[in-house]
Amino acid sequence: MPAVRGDGMRGLAVFISDIRNCKSKEAEIKRINKELANIRSKFKGDKTLDGYQKKKYVCKLLFIFLLGHDIDFGHMEAVNLLSSNKYSEKQIGYLFISVLVNTRSDLINLINQSIKNDLQSRNPIHVNLALQCIANIGSKEMAEVFGHDIPKLLVSGDTMDVVKQSAALCLLRLFRTSQEIIPGGEWTSRIIHLLNDQHMGVVTAATSLIDALVKKNPDEYKGCISLAVSRLSRIVTASYTDLQDYTYYFVPAPWLSVKLLRLLQNYPPPDDPGVRGRLIECLETILNKAQEPPKSKKVQHSNAKNAVLFEAISLIIHMDTEPNLLVRACNQLGQFLSNRETNLRYLALESMCLLATSEFSHDAVKKHQEVVILSMKMEKDVSVRQQAVDLLYAMCDKTNAEEIVQEMLNYLETADYSIREEMVLKVAILAEKYATDYTWYVDVILNLIRIAGDYVSEEVWYRVIQIVINRDDVQGYAAKTVFEALQAPACHENMVKVGGYILGEFGNLIAGDQRSSPSVQFQLLHSKYHLCSPMTRALLLSTYIKFVNLFPEIKTQIQEVFKQHSNLRSADAELQQRASEYLQLSIIASHDMLATVLEEMPVFPERESSILAVLKKKKPGRVPENEIREHKSPVPGSTANHQEERSAAKTVSANASTDLLGLSTPPAAPTAGNTGVLVDMLGELYTSGSPQPHANNVAAQNAYNPAKFVCKNNGVLFENDLIQIGVKSEFRQNLGRITLFYGNKTSTALQNFSAAVTNPTGCIGKLNVQSKKVDPTVEAGAQVQQMVNGECVFDYPDAPSLTVTFTCNGTPQKLSLRLPLTVNKFFEPTEMTGEVFFARWKNLSGNEQRSQKIFKATQPMDNTAIRTKLIGFGMQLLDGIDPNPENFVCAGIVHTSKQQIGCLLRLEPNKQAQVSDLLQCRCFFILLRVNVCETLSGTGH
Amino acid sequence: MAAVTKQNVNAAMVFEFMLKVIDVMQSYFGKISEENIKNNFVLIYELLDEILDFGYPQNTDTGVLKTFITQQGIKSQTKEEQAQITSQVTGQIGWRREGIKYRRNELFLDVLEYVNLLMSPQGQVLSAHVAGKVVMKSYLSGMPECKFGINDKIVMEAKGKGMTTEDPARSGKPVVVIDDCQFHQCVKLSKFETEHSISFIPPDGEFELMRYRTTKDISLPFRVIPLVREVGRTKMEVKVVLKSNFKQSLLGQKIEVKIPTPLNTSGVQLICLKGKAKYKASENAIVWKIKRMAGLKETQLSAEIELLETDTKKKWTRPPISMNFEVPFAPSGFKVRYLKVFESKLNYSDHDVIKWVRYIGRSGLYETRC
Repeated sequence: MPAVRGDGMRGLAVFISDIRNCKSKEAEIKRINKELANIRSKFKGDKTLDGYQKKKYVCKLLFIFLLGHDIDFGHMEAVNLLSSNKYSEKQIGYLFISVLVNTRSDLINLINQSIKNDLQSRNPIHVNLALQCIANIGSKEMAEVFGHDIPKLLVSGDTMDVVKQSAALCLLRLFRTSQEIIPGGEWTSRIIHLLNDQHMGVVTAATSLIDALVKKNPDEYKGCISLAVSRLSRIVTASYTDLQDYTYYFVPAPWLSVKLLRLLQNYPPPDDPGVRGRLIECLETILNKAQEPPKSKKVQHSNAKNAVLFEAISLIIHMDTEPNLLVRACNQLGQFLSNRETNLRYLALESMCLLATSEFSHDAVKKHQEVVILSMKMEKDVSVRQQAVDLLYAMCDKTNAEEIVQEMLNYLETADYSIREEMVLKVAILAEKYATDYTWYVDVILNLIRIAGDYVSEEVWYRVIQIVINRDDVQGYAAKTVFEALQAPACHENMVKVGGYILGEFGNLIAGDQRSSPSVQFQLLHSKYHLCSPMTRALLLSTYIKFVNLFPEIKTQIQEVFKQHSNLRSADAELQQRASEYLQLSIIASHDMLATVLEEMPVFPERESSILAVLKKKKPGRVPENEIREHKSPVPGSTANHQEERSAAKTVSANASTDLLGLSTPPAAPTAGNTGVLVDMLGELYTSGSPQPHANNVAAQNAYNPAKFVCKNNGVLFENDLIQIGVKSEFRQNLGRITLFYGNKTSTALQNFSAAVTNPTGCIGKLNVQSKKVDPTVEAGAQVQQMVNGECVFDYPDAPSLTVTFTCNGTPQKLSLRLPLTVNKFFEPTEMTGEVFFARWKNLSGNEQRSQKIFKATQPMDNTAIRTKLIGFGMQLLDGIDPNPENFVCAGIVHTSKQQIGCLLRLEPNKQAQVSDLLQCRCFFILLRVNVCETLSGTGH
Repeated sequence: MAAVTKQNVNAAMVFEFMLKVIDVMQSYFGKISEENIKNNFVLIYELLDEILDFGYPQNTDTGVLKTFITQQGIKSQTKEEQAQITSQVTGQIGWRREGIKYRRNELFLDVLEYVNLLMSPQGQVLSAHVAGKVVMKSYLSGMPECKFGINDKIVMEAKGKGMTTEDPARSGKPVVVIDDCQFHQCVKLSKFETEHSISFIPPDGEFELMRYRTTKDISLPFRVIPLVREVGRTKMEVKVVLKSNFKQSLLGQKIEVKIPTPLNTSGVQLICLKGKAKYKASENAIVWKIKRMAGLKETQLSAEIELLETDTKKKWTRPPISMNFEVPFAPSGFKVRYLKVFESKLNYSDHDVIKWVRYIGRSGLYETRC
């Protein structure tokens, strides 16, 4: 119990101590009821109560109310107290009113009158009490009634400082309830000039008010910038002895400084160079002061100092124009990262998150990567670790993505459960965003599933499948990796899902290896089947039916499984249905039909990464940005980009595809620029950064780009409004099988349909092509299929052409296309050591065995992208062989039925000049050599 | 007290078990308070260990438990004693041990009833029921078999048919219609179901033989007639008449009438003819206490309540007038007809047993709206 002062209320003290001594709730209620009855009888009694008694009873009522009981009397007595001249009585009266009186009370007029009297009082204490009461109630009605008096009080010259201070705060409160209360016009400048007031208290209160006003109407109060800056500079440069009462543990006016710094964050950096210079000077001084040794060991000193510092850093980040300051701020925060104070480390990480998004300080932040990673791992407090993760996410860019993702993956194994899911999302986003090499991306995601499978949401694995499907260069690798991952004795269900899906689509790409032959793949997947939930099982069943299409040799095995699950053994209706439908499909359907039904999934349309959306939803307002500079992923798998690329490719390839060899002129294609095999692979990649406005139109008109198929086996070969032609091809040694799918996009049938494959004259005898006939009619919306078998007899220069004719709505149509059957399809990658390579290279140094071409790269070169392209071309990329690491060397064998032709290739990019690439290809056979050389060189542009 | 279960168990069982645990603990160390639980922690642990195995309630009979969970130090037990305890715990009659001997065979029967009532201001009974229990205290030698007879309507009718053709209810003998009842575990339920007779081997000492509930033909011992008049906004007049409604020879005791007052009462003036009345501000009520009151009497209280004007427009909800009392009869009409004791092995007969029967009627929630 606090000691009761001389004129304190003894009855109140006794009552409170009674209540506190109550053992139970019931006892307390009894005591309160008794007291209420007592007060009622006192108020009712005939004797008039003096001020002291009124105050005492009102106080008791207030106390009872604050304990949570309803009070429905005593208001009148409280209002009577307002007119008392004693401070303590007035104070209790106002207290009761501000706590208990609602605005619809009958007494409100009486109260307003009392407040008005007090506002006009000569006694500043009374004025302040009235202002406090207004602020505490803060209703719209109050704002209306006193809207004129308070601003007058605030700016009038003869108001005392303490009153001004209260008036500013009261006005702020009323402003928040009704925005109209602040008069505009001349008042604006008068309010702003409060910043120049002598009294620091007034300035502090006024700053809060101005801050609120500025948020509503920044332009009107623009004048406050220079005043705020000069006030700030006066404080910052003041020594701690200057501002006697407003120095807090040797820090001059920390609260005012913080408020001024916040106020300035409402505006862009000042335009006036003088003001701006002064502000920068201030910020510099604050940063300098942070370096000074502390003047006191007390925690309050460092807290105040750091508060100002952090606010200054926020302002620096907000301005985002002073690289110098940003870097200094970053360094300062870096020091805090290893501070002993946990809160400081947290704040430092938080501010750094913001700094990382500024282009000037991003690199400075990156310098602290080690420390941040360390604090992610070692920090005791989970919220700090979380902040470290956020910062890592924010500071991640192309250069450090691999390292950060790796560290996050490592940490994920031991991370707190509470932050795992978020981390998983972040890793997935970073991996996707900065993946230059999509095999790395696949690795990361699979690792992610392995380490924290439970936290990998659906979106994450949907995304990885989308990306694998959209990017044909990783499909083989992905299939191989998931196959390996699935071999672990215990793998997460998400892994089985991804594995099932990818093998179902691309299992054929690794089927050549004995260790992952079709039946091994199937057995492996099926061994997991019984451990999975129905949803996964359903997915696996779909995978099996896809296997039926991919590997007819294990059809019986799979049918057996379908039979097992098509009856009551699987209780889930969905599974039963799938199993029986798939079983019938596999029995009844012809191979062609199966191939159509179970065609590879089409490319997914690109949209915002769904994972990012999930992360944003999960932590609204708390997702650190990772969007400093727009990095476009260098090889985005988006169709939109593809279309741009295609059209870009056309313009470039038009001159690249000169018919050097003098071979047969290919039939004129409906669009210009796609003549010849000499396609533009690398150019496709290099032009991706430059969107062309007309690109989409062209692409929509006629989407045909044979270049795409130089290193791609499956996809859409051609598409216009009428027809879509898809292609799917497989190659083994010197044999190839291409399946063409003709889809009718119109609502009427295509008549007289025919598709003929013609071998160019130069290729006769060197390439055997056989095609089957197709139905003359393609129904609306239907798809027909044509198989083309090819055999490479000898090196041939040109791909066969495909002529499609049909009548649509009575109009005959003719399409001339090029079959994606270039000689490089028959390449087999060959591993060889450096010695062997250069021995052979030298052997082939004669002019007859050598082709060389220098060509210009139109875009900056990206090593990883070139690598991907070269691997897709079909030759083996040999790493670490060439003495110059910038160079690429490749080796491959072309299988023909007559013989096998070895081929070596070397690409020397000249990065400094960015002008020329030197391409050398050495081989015994001139035709192949030139062919390869030309094909690839065309891609450089 | 709280119980936690892993499965969806019978909630009634859990409550019953917890009540039993409370009984057991009370018989061991009296009042259950924080202090007592702290002091008897080991004992409670021991008890719980005994009455609950793997979550299944076991023997919760205090008498039996006391034979092997003692509060004195460990007493080395002979082999026979141990064997006896074993057969006791595992045997058929877990609630009574063998070899009990008394010089005077004596038993006490208490019929305890709680009357619950809600009455409208006009004197209409809105709801009324009696919750009763029969508590028996037995000091009998050997393993006596007892037979208990009451004036249950079904039994009486069956018997009436057997002996005379006359309807027993019409013959003037009062019967009681029992809505539902439950017995101590010692009662042979099979016999109750087939013959409707209550026979049992009683545990030694005090136990609750049966519990029952009736709703029909309840004789209400007291009537409260309220009269409330609001005079303006600041005054109220209340008059309450109390009538006793039982045999003149009997005496009602510990009578207390509680008349709620409005929350803005600022003063009360009281006049009452009998007993003492007082305004208790802490309970917001007038409490009128009468020590004793004979049957078929009437008395009254009048009060003048002064009110303080408040700013709330809420009307006073007028909570009901409640009362407490104790009367020496069973308001439900429940009667013990006989309690026969048979002990075949020891040579004492039913006539040698001294039997005491007592009826107590108490108020449960006995309210009249005003």
